[in-house]
Amino acid sequence: MSNKRRKKTASFISKEEMERRKREVIIGIIIIAVVALLTFVENRIIHFGADIPVSNTILMFILININLLLLLLLIFLVFRNLVKLLYDRKRKVMGTKLRTRLVVAFIALSLLPTIVLFFFSINFITTSIEFWFNVPVEQALENSLDVGRSLYWHTEERNRFYMERISYQITTKKLLDTNNKKALSRYVQVVQREFNFNAIEIYADNATRITFALAPELEDKRFDVISADNLQKEIPPKGVRTVSERIPSGELIRTIGTIPFGSTPTNAQAFIVIARLMPPDLAKKMSSISRGFEEYQQIKLLKKPIQVTYYITLSIVALLVVFCSVWFGFYMAKTISIPIRVLAEGILRVKEGDLSVNIAMVADDEIGTLVDSFNKMTRDLRIGRDQLELSARLLREQNVEIEKRRQYMEIVLKNVSAGVITLDAGGFITTMNKSAEKMLNLKSEHILQKSYKKLLDGQLLELAEDVMENLKSSRNDAAELPLKLTIDGRPMSFLMHVNALKDDAGQHMGMVMVFDDLTELEKAQRMAAWREVARRIAHEVKNPLTPISLSAQRLKRKYSDQIKEPVFDECTQTITDHVNLIRNLVDEFSSFARFPTANPKPDDLPPIIEETLALYKEGHPRINFEFNVTDDIPVLNLDRQQIKQAMINLVDNAIGSIRNEGSIMISLAHDPILKIVRLEISDNGVGISDEGKTRLFEPYFSTKKTGMGLGLTIVSTIISDHNGMIRVQDNKPKGAKFVVELPV
Amino acid sequence: MITFMNRKSLVLLFGIIFCVQNLAFAQNATLTNIIVTNTRDDLLVYLNVEGAFTEKMKKAILSGVSTTFSYYLSFYQVRNLWFDNNIEDIKVTNTIKYNNLKEEYIVKRSWEKSGPQVTKSFDEAKKLMSEIDSLKIVPLKQLVKGAHYQLRAKAELSKVTLPFYLHYVLFFVSLWDFETDWYTVDFIY
Repeated sequence: MSNKRRKKTASFISKEEMERRKREVIIGIIIIAVVALLTFVENRIIHFGADIPVSNTILMFILININLLLLLLLIFLVFRNLVKLLYDRKRKVMGTKLRTRLVVAFIALSLLPTIVLFFFSINFITTSIEFWFNVPVEQALENSLDVGRSLYWHTEERNRFYMERISYQITTKKLLDTNNKKALSRYVQVVQREFNFNAIEIYADNATRITFALAPELEDKRFDVISADNLQKEIPPKGVRTVSERIPSGELIRTIGTIPFGSTPTNAQAFIVIARLMPPDLAKKMSSISRGFEEYQQIKLLKKPIQVTYYITLSIVALLVVFCSVWFGFYMAKTISIPIRVLAEGILRVKEGDLSVNIAMVADDEIGTLVDSFNKMTRDLRIGRDQLELSARLLREQNVEIEKRRQYMEIVLKNVSAGVITLDAGGFITTMNKSAEKMLNLKSEHILQKSYKKLLDGQLLELAEDVMENLKSSRNDAAELPLKLTIDGRPMSFLMHVNALKDDAGQHMGMVMVFDDLTELEKAQRMAAWREVARRIAHEVKNPLTPISLSAQRLKRKYSDQIKEPVFDECTQTITDHVNLIRNLVDEFSSFARFPTANPKPDDLPPIIEETLALYKEGHPRINFEFNVTDDIPVLNLDRQQIKQAMINLVDNAIGSIRNEGSIMISLAHDPILKIVRLEISDNGVGISDEGKTRLFEPYFSTKKTGMGLGLTIVSTIISDHNGMIRVQDNKPKGAKFVVELPV
Repeated sequence: MITFMNRKSLVLLFGIIFCVQNLAFAQNATLTNIIVTNTRDDLLVYLNVEGAFTEKMKKAILSGVSTTFSYYLSFYQVRNLWFDNNIEDIKVTNTIKYNNLKEEYIVKRSWEKSGPQVTKSFDEAKKLMSEIDSLKIVPLKQLVKGAHYQLRAKAELSKVTLPFYLHYVLFFVSLWDFETDWYTVDFIY
């Protein structure tokens, strides 16, 4: 689950962001499309515009405004991106620098040609327009217009000329008189034909038509009178006024004048109107000249607006291009810089140790390949690290296992009764277990990592080197040797097994020494052997003693009186004494051999010791006896008789070691932790040699001339029957010390 | 922050656009000499528009552009505590067209029965264009003695007939449009 989430975050671009961007792109495209379509539609409408009344321009207005709004939207998009970019730059978001550079490059790339094109187009349009209006079209149009005008002017002028004459004739001939009405009509007709007028009319001063004459082409047409208003209108100083009207057969130009000529309409006696018919095609041409000129004038009038319009259109198009390109620049910059940014961020995260980075971006270009490679790399790294972690974990587990084993081994070693010491190939002591420490009375910290060569000296060093040499040279990997040592004044007997350690290749790795404390065992074995010997001797020796003794007594009784020789008595007496002595010895032997087993009962120890001491105090005034009881001594299971015997033996022994005077100190202490009572009998006598210590408790070992050497053996037997222990140490500064430990 | 800035710039842009558009209409044309009077049978109105003609407009007219002034007249009976009663809405137009061949102005006034007036003088044509003379509003018999009435008037340049391909130009350059405010004349019959 967490992995999944990590992956999700690792894609860097959230789903909403992606969708938003997509939407933006779509909006942009739609806007451009709509703007293009609207522009096209507007163009179409303008081209068909001939039929569209100006009021419909509202539609155009809407279209153009929509277009503008869309343009604004595009600008908004661009500005939004721009502001975002600036903001990102300020925040120092990764990838903004590249994006800025790309955007600037795109803008520059698009702006340069656009600006060049824009100014070129502006210039082109300006010069083109100037050129169009500079062409002598205007002059030509004006000239043709002048021609048209002069045509009218000539017509009017001609009419005026005739009118003046006719007016004069009418006035002088008094043709306006009511009597001369016919003459007037005739005159008018004559004049019409004479001067080839299309029509000539005479109006009375009340605007009624008096008479008129028409050319044949007008005769069958409708020919309206001129309204009174028209006639009464002020006449310009030149004396005539022209009105024109369109009739089916062309344009009828009527020149109005007064009779007499030059008078004001109010003073006029009558009005004369001369009409000329302009042929329809000429009239049409005239109007087209007029229209052409008008249109030209209008265009000229709109020259500036048209220019401005072109500029605006161009500007809009240029802006559109610029904004499109800027927007496109942003888009391109995004598509280029985002993968790079994401890659950079990914690399940063990898640098920080996060190998779960997975860039979820599918692109088919080189960046896509790069992203793929990056993903593969991180994946490989991740797998590698996982494997590494796995092996590290395994290693750790193995280490734990090994440590457990080591501890187990240590515990085993600590708890085996045998002493174990290991040495490395260089003879340095590497391990030493508790039993070894105890047996040798050493502290491992003083010994570890020290060479045996430094630790041992004398005979032992020689022995050790022999063993080493032996092990190294011989094929035998193991050696076994008994060893007798005195440790802290205590004789100890060990059986030592030395094993050379070799690796699979047979290389010497060191050795392990395992040694068992055989002191007690040996003691017991010796004791058993001696008992057997004692029993046999007692048996074998005791039997002949009685006949010897009896024979000697018999000899003395029978032949003492007869021989009367003191030698004889002495000899028999000596035999008897020595037989007794031997018997005593044999008794002692047999009592040793058949020593009764202890029958312990709860008893107090101090009174027994005191009783024993009391036996000797009187007899040995030069010896100082001391008895100290330090603690409360609990009641022990004791065979009172045997313990007393043991005490006697020990004290006897101590007294024996003191030549002249000295002191014997007995101390009794209770050790509640070990649950023992410790009895120490120390003297300041001659002491015991190291060899003596090892054999002290063996039978028939005595330093005294008279002793059988059984006293301490018996003590040892009694103590071991009480499940206790006896040992001998040197008493400091002088003498020996026996330590008896009895269980509570 | 982004949206805020953009909104600001957008508002600014729109502001500029509308200001420009308003400037285009900022020509000062006024109605003057509004006179409401009556004949025996009808209520008549006289009015002039001033400041409607500019040099540009004159140039346009001389270039043969047909130009129309529209006059809007609304006649109300003013009522207290109630909407005013709209009695009559009148729209009349004066159109001017210059004939450069004959160098004369033809002014057509929609409210005159007689045909178009032709004049060679621009001043006269101008006068004809900017005047409404004795335009009948309502017959007097429709009015109630002692009632409060109001005439509202407005003039505007409603139409400049340009060559078709120049129509769209008007969107970018307002040439000489004018529109006066509403003017009111109150009276009690």
